[in-house]
Amino acid sequence: MDDTNKLQALRAVLDTYRDVPGSLITVLQKAQGIYGYLPQDVLETVAAELDIPSARVFGVATFYTQFRFQPVGKYFIELCKGTACHVNGADTIARTITETLGIADGETTADGLFSLKCVACLGCCSLSPVMMINGETYGSLTPAKVRDVLAQKRKEAQADA
Amino acid sequence: MILLNGKEFAFVPGQTILELAQANGIEIPTLCHDERIEPYGACGLCVCEVRMGQAPARLMRACATKTADGMVIETQSARVERSRRFVLDMLLSDHTGDCIAPCSLACPGGTDCQKYAALIACGEYRKAAETMKDVIPIPASIGRICPHPCEKKCRRALVEAPVSLAALKAFGADMDLKENPFVPECKPDTGKRVAVIGGGPAGLTAAYHLRRRGHEVHIYDKMPKLGGMLRYGIPEYRLPKAVLDKEIALIGDIGVQMHPNTTLGTDVTLENLREGFDAVVVATGAWISSKMRVQGEDLDGVFGGIDFLRAAALGDPPAIGKTVAVCGGGNTAMDACRTAVRLGAETVYVIYRRTRDEMPAEQLEIEEAIEEGVQFKFLTNPDEICGDDRVSSIRLQCMQLGAPDASGRRRPEPIEGRFETLPVDSVIMAIGQKTDFAGLESLEATNRGTVNADTATFKTNLDGVFAVGDVTNKGADIAIAAIGEARKAADVIDAYLDGVEIAYEKPFVCEKTVTADDLADREKRDRAVMPVLPPEERKHTFAEMALGFDEETAKKEASRCLECGCLDYAQCKLIRYARQYKADPAPYAGEKSARQKDDSHAVILRDGAKCILCGLCVRACDQLEHLSAIGLAGRGFTTEVGAAYRLPLGTSCCNGCGKCVEVCPTGALYKKTEGCKNVAVDRK
Amino acid sequence: MLKIMVGQGSCGVSAGAGKVYDALQSAVEERKIDASLSVTGCIGMCFLEPIVDIYTDDRLTRLVRVQPKDVPAIADYLQTGDDASVASLKIAAQDSAFLEKQTRIALRNCGVIDPESLADAVAHRGYDALRKAVTEMTPEQVIDVIKVSGLAGRGGAGFPTWFKWNAARQSEGSPKYLICNADEGDPGAFMDRAVIEGDPHALIEGMLIGAYAIGADEAIVYVRAEYPLAIKRLEKAIADAKAAGYIGEHIFGTDFSCGFRIKAGAGAFVCGEETALIESLEGQRGMPRLKPPFPAQSGYWHKPSNINNVETFANVAWIINNGGEAFAAMGTDDSKGTKVFALTGKIKRGGLVEIPMGKTLRDVVFDIGGGMRADKAFKGVQLGGPSGGCVPSELIDTVIDYKKLSATGAIMGSGGMVIMDESTCMVRMAKFFLEFTTKESCGKCVACRIGTKRLLEILTRICDGDGREGDIELLEDLCARIKENALCGLGQTAPNPVLTTIRYFRDEYEAHIRDKRCPAGECTALVRFSIDPDKCRGCSLCSRKCPVGAISGDVGKPFTIDGEACIRCGQCAEVCKFGAVRKG
Repeated sequence: MDDTNKLQALRAVLDTYRDVPGSLITVLQKAQGIYGYLPQDVLETVAAELDIPSARVFGVATFYTQFRFQPVGKYFIELCKGTACHVNGADTIARTITETLGIADGETTADGLFSLKCVACLGCCSLSPVMMINGETYGSLTPAKVRDVLAQKRKEAQADA
Repeated sequence: MILLNGKEFAFVPGQTILELAQANGIEIPTLCHDERIEPYGACGLCVCEVRMGQAPARLMRACATKTADGMVIETQSARVERSRRFVLDMLLSDHTGDCIAPCSLACPGGTDCQKYAALIACGEYRKAAETMKDVIPIPASIGRICPHPCEKKCRRALVEAPVSLAALKAFGADMDLKENPFVPECKPDTGKRVAVIGGGPAGLTAAYHLRRRGHEVHIYDKMPKLGGMLRYGIPEYRLPKAVLDKEIALIGDIGVQMHPNTTLGTDVTLENLREGFDAVVVATGAWISSKMRVQGEDLDGVFGGIDFLRAAALGDPPAIGKTVAVCGGGNTAMDACRTAVRLGAETVYVIYRRTRDEMPAEQLEIEEAIEEGVQFKFLTNPDEICGDDRVSSIRLQCMQLGAPDASGRRRPEPIEGRFETLPVDSVIMAIGQKTDFAGLESLEATNRGTVNADTATFKTNLDGVFAVGDVTNKGADIAIAAIGEARKAADVIDAYLDGVEIAYEKPFVCEKTVTADDLADREKRDRAVMPVLPPEERKHTFAEMALGFDEETAKKEASRCLECGCLDYAQCKLIRYARQYKADPAPYAGEKSARQKDDSHAVILRDGAKCILCGLCVRACDQLEHLSAIGLAGRGFTTEVGAAYRLPLGTSCCNGCGKCVEVCPTGALYKKTEGCKNVAVDRK
Repeated sequence: MLKIMVGQGSCGVSAGAGKVYDALQSAVEERKIDASLSVTGCIGMCFLEPIVDIYTDDRLTRLVRVQPKDVPAIADYLQTGDDASVASLKIAAQDSAFLEKQTRIALRNCGVIDPESLADAVAHRGYDALRKAVTEMTPEQVIDVIKVSGLAGRGGAGFPTWFKWNAARQSEGSPKYLICNADEGDPGAFMDRAVIEGDPHALIEGMLIGAYAIGADEAIVYVRAEYPLAIKRLEKAIADAKAAGYIGEHIFGTDFSCGFRIKAGAGAFVCGEETALIESLEGQRGMPRLKPPFPAQSGYWHKPSNINNVETFANVAWIINNGGEAFAAMGTDDSKGTKVFALTGKIKRGGLVEIPMGKTLRDVVFDIGGGMRADKAFKGVQLGGPSGGCVPSELIDTVIDYKKLSATGAIMGSGGMVIMDESTCMVRMAKFFLEFTTKESCGKCVACRIGTKRLLEILTRICDGDGREGDIELLEDLCARIKENALCGLGQTAPNPVLTTIRYFRDEYEAHIRDKRCPAGECTALVRFSIDPDKCRGCSLCSRKCPVGAISGDVGKPFTIDGEACIRCGQCAEVCKFGAVRKG
């Protein structure tokens, strides 16, 4: 989608929800669906169109972990930090990802390839420890397996490019 | 009916516990509640123990809990207090700021340097003097002679150089003295009488503050005029006695009665003063020159440092001849050597056993002495004063520096067999002062020969007799230390006269650490240089050497102040409650929030580091001003208050109405003083 | 006709059920096998996913851990009826016991029906109870039946459901709202997700009955955004139910009308707290409100509102169909009916378990769960997630009942049950939960915002080997203060994991603080790696992997680790093929 199409899509969302009280979170979710994240001008548009003070829109957006204010990398890694994963060694997995990619929770690699986000429980506890890359689950992880998966993704990206 | 702290009260339906308590004069602390704004319940400070029926008592938030028939409420139980202290401990563990500026904390008197500097920058000299006189009754004098520990802690030094706080003090006080000077109001007479023995800085200060509290105060002093060491120990060229006279006269103007030429032990005795007065303050100072215990010390032409200065001050200096050796490295030595120069000595030596770096005297004084031709004989120590009846020479042991001693200074050690002899006409021993115990025999002494006084209550072994200043404990110190003690003692004595026993307690304050990096963005502005008489001229006169700042220089210099101290300290509820509940965040020390200062707005100054996230500002902006220029962002420990997108407030839609400032319980929000330096808010 | 059902709960999908389904679909088409292929929800045996159930008439063949490569063999079986080709895939008897020992009410249709088929739900008594309630019963009678059943809130607090319904019914104001809390945030719990993914109509039906009971005009499900599959299936179910007239105006021709919608949460555990949930529903920051007023008086848009969680609602239709007495017949004096647990951690057979109240923890952990993986020593059970606590092995015979579990310092909670063995460090476990609560604290009240942060800092320093004498007492005092002063349930219960681990595993804390030792060997700062010379074969692999060159030796002879240089990354232990690297 180019910028014009995105704005059109956003306008459509705003038209749907403008008169529905309490829709701010839904609108922000849909806006993020369109843009991939929530740029400041999009938040500004939402605030103006819904007639909610910008400070409040920003306050809501920054309260929920779902919302992002920076674009994410090509591969969005969600690492489960649920209890089962913790018990089965999620800390080691986190360390492995950080060591392999040089990024901490919430960061994106300089080449824009990988973003890492630690999340609370993906609900696949029986496969713990678990991570999800672009919605695909990788379970029963070991450091070696993580390194393999990441290397494979990097290769994939090189092939694409 | 409701049982509130054991008493029955009727309540209005819909009334909260907080409202009921307030209506009945019971204070419940709160940091996040304002009656104009809906209850929010963030701080949890207002919790009270509430019991309904048979259920066990629970801690409930008074701001939000509605009263109900049959409620049993305790607003001050141990459980309640413990919970409140916890809240305060937590808040303080995440609170970054300086309640009081480091200069003020460094001042033994606790003078509010930041405030008088700000007032001077604004041209409000009378108010500046009033601020100084909260502590120091004689600021024009002290400003001239104080070694200013304040400046040593001034953070401006991390930028380029400290603010000239002492000189500014002298300037501000001088401006006030010019016409219609500030005279404090005194409380109505209490009928209590206090005798102060000794009219030096300590005695004058104790008298001044006790008189302000409505007591009848008499000062007894053995010298012809009051002022103590300021008059008889500090040379005229540093402190013109006309200035001191004016300031002492003002103390007389508020009703302090002064009795000069009255010697303790002969003219009055401690015993009869105790009988005639409700309290006695001993502030007789340390007036005996210490001896060095070297051979020849008793020869003619050997003088004690303060004896020499006193004689000079009285206009009757001894004959010192053309060549003078002054022994010692402190400020008294500097005063003595420079007085000797002014009395016509052609060669003046300062004998000091260590090097210049270790000298306790002010560097500026040393420099000025050198300019005036004084010769420093470092790493030498008097070994013998030679002469038949009168001094003819002094033999010096040459020294070298060894390992550091307890004070951290390197210990001087004699170099065996190396001596130097200087022909001199006189020797002045400025190596220390001791207490004259005459008339104080009934008081318990320390092993230093000073009066033993409690450091928190200033009490001596005799009931109703208090002691402050150089005469006590560790002995001689700088004037402002004596003033600070006397100021604190006045509170204790005032309470004593009221039948209450209190002790001075160092109040809890928040302090922060600041490094040069934190101030890297500050524009460098040179410290004002005090204009002085040229050396050739001043060598021959006792006229005041410092010429004083002109108004423009003073204002500019005062505006260099970084405003480290909290501008809202006097009205901060957090610090008030912290003290009331004896909060102590130390065991919980941990990470602090990274909230920052925001000075982008024309009238609102925000300091996020002091924000306690009570949310009052956000709610006031929404509910009172209907603007919502600011909001909460993020969540949990890193929540912050600010304009949208974390942009500076100055770029937001904030209209500067100041309602947020009004409701802020701490110094996180401040309404700037328009067109002038920010001045700390007064206590309401 | 053959019926093939592929378990496609999130767990199944994660394990590759989607690919298996696709492969089966191709095979069925290619080989022209006369079989219906459909999807079902999670049966609960997550440890066996992907699971393929094949029904031949009434006979069920359950194949487990199926991979796409197994599909040709399955196709052979489907064509021939000879199960020899799938013998290796058939569920083992002891694994079947996992299900056989359970009593399924809330999960009655999970893994049995196609969650995307209203017809399938209806065939399994879907909406019978709703019809009965609205056509044959008054709202008061419905509340009465629920009262008789003894159903209590399954979200954790265990508050009697009928009482809340009654309060909302009695409350004046209009409109009224019925809200389902499906913001299942407890890390380690997925009961609600499984219900929505496996049997969305059970939730919808339960909610509509509740709406009828309290007189609500609209029912709203507040569901975690992290559950996309649940949202998708629920959306379809709502649309189907609307089309069939179960939702909307004049349901079953009566005067009862009720709207129904989903609201996706956006990631905030605190929104599990009902007033925070309401704030979030209203499009605000999910910060709890002061209580009272309670939602029954003033909730969503300050109107009377009732909030229950998913599992609670999932029981309702069954109770209406079978009577309150039938439900109350199960359980203990204090706790009636069944409870669903998400059994995870160091357990052999992890998954979803529904058992009658009154069973013991031992029944769940050992009989159903099969005990510890790798046969390590059992250490304890963590119940109730960040609000709950750890029950030690010596209390394994504790009866599952609200009061009995509370007495241990833990709570029933929403159903997270994480099993820990000897290699789990309990200080670290407490730290883990505090990491969670500090991240999830909304920041409104001081006690939670700063208090949990300070707890975490102290726990962190203990795990890092910087614990100080007095830290345990400091933790205990802080915990007591936070519990007493925090504004909402999140803060009030946040200290529980700390308090229970101190209560039952104080010696582990002391070992960390005094001896600078982590008995479980989990805290890397306190772990010392060494090589067992008897086991080491001198292969040098560890030495080559060591990032700091701390391991040396001659090939063929035992290697040694330089403790000073070692950074305790643990890679040596990971790569050693002979188990020669010791931790301790």
